Amino acid sequence: MGVVHGDLMTLNIGPQHPSTHGVLRLKVKTDGEIISEVEPIIGYLHRCFEKHCENVSYEQVIPYTDRCDYIAAMNNNFGYAVTVEELMEIKVPERVEYIRVIVAELNRIASHLLALGAYGLDVGAFTPFLYMFRDRERILDLFETLCGARLLYNYIWVGGVSHDFPKGFVESVYSFLDYFEPKIEEYNELLTYNKIFIERTGDVGVMPPEVAVSYGVTGPNLRGSGVKWDIRKDEPYSIYEKFDFDIPVGVGEMGTVGDCWDRYYVRMVEMKESIKITRQALKGIPTGDVHQALPKKIRPPQGSIYKRTESPRGDLAYYIVSDGSPIPYRLKMRSPAFTALSVLGEISQGWMMSDVLAILGSLDIVLGEIDR
Amino acid sequence: MSSDQDKLIAESVEKALQGDMDAINNIEDRVTRSKAKAALVKAKREAKAAVAEETPRAEKSKAEEAPQAEQTFAAQVAVALEKKFPGSLDTEDVNGHIQMKGEQWYEAAQYLRDNPDFLFDSLQCVTGYDYGTSEDLEVRYNLHSMTHHHAIEIRIKIDRNDSKIPSVEQVWRIGDWFERETYDMYGIEFVGHSNMTRILCPEDWAGWPLRKDYETQEMYHGIVVPKVKDGWE
Amino acid sequence: MGVLENRFQDNVVVASMDKLLGWARSTSPWFFQFGLACCAIEMMATAASRYDLMRIGMIPRSSPRQADVMIVAGTVTMKMSLRVKKLYEQMADPKYVIAMGSCATSGGPYWQYGYHVLKGVDLVVPVDVYIPGCPPRPEALIEGLLKLQEKIQAERPLTKKIA
Repeated sequence: MGVVHGDLMTLNIGPQHPSTHGVLRLKVKTDGEIISEVEPIIGYLHRCFEKHCENVSYEQVIPYTDRCDYIAAMNNNFGYAVTVEELMEIKVPERVEYIRVIVAELNRIASHLLALGAYGLDVGAFTPFLYMFRDRERILDLFETLCGARLLYNYIWVGGVSHDFPKGFVESVYSFLDYFEPKIEEYNELLTYNKIFIERTGDVGVMPPEVAVSYGVTGPNLRGSGVKWDIRKDEPYSIYEKFDFDIPVGVGEMGTVGDCWDRYYVRMVEMKESIKITRQALKGIPTGDVHQALPKKIRPPQGSIYKRTESPRGDLAYYIVSDGSPIPYRLKMRSPAFTALSVLGEISQGWMMSDVLAILGSLDIVLGEIDR
Repeated sequence: MSSDQDKLIAESVEKALQGDMDAINNIEDRVTRSKAKAALVKAKREAKAAVAEETPRAEKSKAEEAPQAEQTFAAQVAVALEKKFPGSLDTEDVNGHIQMKGEQWYEAAQYLRDNPDFLFDSLQCVTGYDYGTSEDLEVRYNLHSMTHHHAIEIRIKIDRNDSKIPSVEQVWRIGDWFERETYDMYGIEFVGHSNMTRILCPEDWAGWPLRKDYETQEMYHGIVVPKVKDGWE
Repeated sequence: MGVLENRFQDNVVVASMDKLLGWARSTSPWFFQFGLACCAIEMMATAASRYDLMRIGMIPRSSPRQADVMIVAGTVTMKMSLRVKKLYEQMADPKYVIAMGSCATSGGPYWQYGYHVLKGVDLVVPVDVYIPGCPPRPEALIEGLLKLQEKIQAERPLTKKIA
């Protein structure tokens, strides 16, 4: 965007700063306003997740996976449960599959609401943050009636789920979806088509698709650059094949393909698709016992497995090596935000200081997942 | 009373074997219901054993076919790699993954990324692995192709005391951070990396945390590291 | 009371200086936004529209020099602990610390095998109020803040202390 001249100075952003999504430190080399290099420094939230997984049993790992990506905890549990079930070749009942898809999609909506609200806060708009949090609280209420917790659920277990739907839950989800669908239009009016927002995010931080693939970026960040890749459609797991939904991609409506506005808008449209999936799942949910397939003791056979699922941030994968004992031998979580953050240095060269924060916000990172 | 219970259990298990779970779920007494469920599991297991005895050959051939299809793709890749870089494969056996030697890994990685048959343009995951105290270390790469939709796993074993492996940072740009993380956790040095420093633990941390023989240090800058529980337990 | 009885008109208030200072200091503590991990999301939710924190007088400030209370929300790691100490020293007196969540209180679920986790933020800064929970509900955080207000009110800053 601009040419850098003059002496460069090193500026430090973080690890404590109101605009970072957690404890992230950015070492910025700038001549005053135009950036010449950005280096993210992480590790301030390294909580030794993988070391814990090598010392506790398979069931006890599930609360730890919650706390990695604490905004979309259901999807983390889902990925882990699906991986261990494939390793042990357990088939879960139909009702459990439908329940899992419903809670995972509701959590996707909640996660996107937080991401978009915090992004508005980053670029200076405080009102959308409050509006989106108001709606997010309603989803957290639903989760609280379901399993008792607001943020970290420990709900999806290997072989089933921990609690069945209580009486009246399906009706309350329907009423929430009916209430929420017109709100997306409200957000579009407030933020998406706001002239100042478009000026700040359109054409900023363009990520070409080859760079995205080489850096391993997945999820809405990759779809914002025009690549149509979604694990729910391309390598479906659970019962996602039964549902009819679209994959939104960025088309460069307000600037170039792959800018911050595209990544923001992909998340906005994904919320609509999640509503569609949830409605279809609620219509077709069968009856049954959710605790039927819970194994008495989880002892997978010897072997290793690498399985990918779609979390709101991208392509979440677990690599589990089992040696036949009830404790995993090696568990590695491949987090989507890790790869998304690594591309920051590449796409923010030449932009101004305030643009760096707009780009960082559009990548939607969660430090708990990056540092594990 | 118990013979009534047994009859109730037997009837509901019969119905459940035919697919109707409501008979068991509607039993009010919790003890009886759990007994019925246990009896159902036992009955299903016996039925499965009976079926397995009857059709062993059909099932076994299906089980043989599925890994064979996978083996075919991994075997194809292994054959191509051996042809282009002779001596780079460690073992002949292919079980869904390819075991390689570390010396020609950088060239092999470029070949895997650029060859039009394979086009592995995305490095999904780099995992470090420890076979046990005083055994070898290993690095496992999961590759994936966005165009052809196939995936492969490559494993490279290295010696514990002299753990060096060529870096693939220039082939897939995400290799930069993945390799720094493996270095941080296992102490494996990636030769040719532009910035081989710790990424998660602080710069002055001692030891390689995910190795099986790691012992936590006692103090860090004057702060006690392990949790001290004396006095209140 | 004797010498002051029936001496003043209706628009004059008489109170002890300690109590007056306590009332003034406790009712609008501005908090230092120090969200580290999952508890930070609950802190944001408490500051949002449903459980409004501004009605008890708290505003988030991003600079330590402008804040009175530091709410340590989330796990403190070894790498971060040195920075926590520095930020605490940058705050101006009078300052208070609230440890929110079980990670800040005593290491949380990571106490056993977490080599990089600080087992409780009270190893580096002095803590006034501990709030348990993983994560604590917004109501629990508000109760913790009200307890802190009680504590500030009960302080007697002007009385000479027997050191």
